[in-house]
Amino acid sequence: MLPLMRNDRWLVIAAVILGVVLIVISIVYFAEPAKSLPSFFPGHQAGSSHHHTKHGIAALLLGIACLVFAWFRSAPKKSPPAPA
Amino acid sequence: MILASLISYPRAIILGLVQGVTELFPISSLGHSVIIPSLLGWNIHQNADYFLTFLVATHLATAIVLLGFFWRDWVRIVKGLGRSLRDRGIAPDDTDAKLGWLLVVGTIPAGILGLLLQDKLRTLFDSPRAASIFLALNGVMLFAAERMRRRAPQTDSDDDTRISRQVGWSQAVGVGAAQSLGLIPGFSRSGAAMSGGLFFGLSHKDAARFAFLLATPIIGAAALLKLPQLAGTQGNGVRGQALAGALAAAFSAYLSVRFLMRYFETKTLIPFAIYCLAAGIAASIYFAVS
Repeated sequence: MLPLMRNDRWLVIAAVILGVVLIVISIVYFAEPAKSLPSFFPGHQAGSSHHHTKHGIAALLLGIACLVFAWFRSAPKKSPPAPA
Repeated sequence: MILASLISYPRAIILGLVQGVTELFPISSLGHSVIIPSLLGWNIHQNADYFLTFLVATHLATAIVLLGFFWRDWVRIVKGLGRSLRDRGIAPDDTDAKLGWLLVVGTIPAGILGLLLQDKLRTLFDSPRAASIFLALNGVMLFAAERMRRRAPQTDSDDDTRISRQVGWSQAVGVGAAQSLGLIPGFSRSGAAMSGGLFFGLSHKDAARFAFLLATPIIGAAALLKLPQLAGTQGNGVRGQALAGALAAAFSAYLSVRFLMRYFETKTLIPFAIYCLAAGIAASIYFAVS
């Protein structure tokens, strides 16, 4: 039981970090034109003033999904009802 | 003026009626929106801004009809989602919460693939010839779904209880991802989702219900995302026709969803498979020789 709980904790931490990173990435996509995106970002294009809104929405959705997953996964375990 | 002449009001109404039917019947709305204007000799450019703007309006109308048709279900589902978030878990007997999260999980892959690939696939396969071939392949997919469907025991009397017990998380992802096939003109989104549902053991009625519930946020979000086009300069000269098309689409979509929910209580995808195969092959031959 204990190792499983440890794994759960790491999973929650990873999901929270990933969720926050994805939300930050989505904000970058919304705020910056394609020319100003970091070169390792999908959609980076020198000289383009196009905003990759769809990439931003996709990253935002994934980020929220990660945070929701962490929310459920970190819920306190309910103990089974005592036998009558 | 030129734009208005490209989609006249009668054409807009015909395209709207076709859109409302083909979006919900498993026979590909996108494919029909490519093939029918070409067959009728209408000079409509599939990727022109005015036509895409017109399609936004008809899609939005279809999504509103679906939302209205399943309104009570959506209210229960949203309440279930809220309950599960509050309790930080899904109670074993909370069917609405389980169904709600299955819809969320199924919508994520379809939404992301749609956001990233929609325009690319549409540009790549926008020719009537390609759409005809994919329509025939859609027929093959529907045949295969009937052939390979898993018949699981249907023990619960409530539709949503059956769906939430039969469909697991990975299967919801699978059905959601299958929906993305609908991004290719000729393949049907609802057909792919129903095929996925049948493959995972749902009955025809439950597969159709799950497909329609999954479709509502996808179609609605895709239309809302492009709604500024309709309000902006791209909508100039086509707004009236878009409204007429949207009303026609809403009318035919309502009749379609009513019909299909009754139809799938007892019948199968086979007639749609035959239609897609026959229409796809016939249109392919026509476009090859013309």
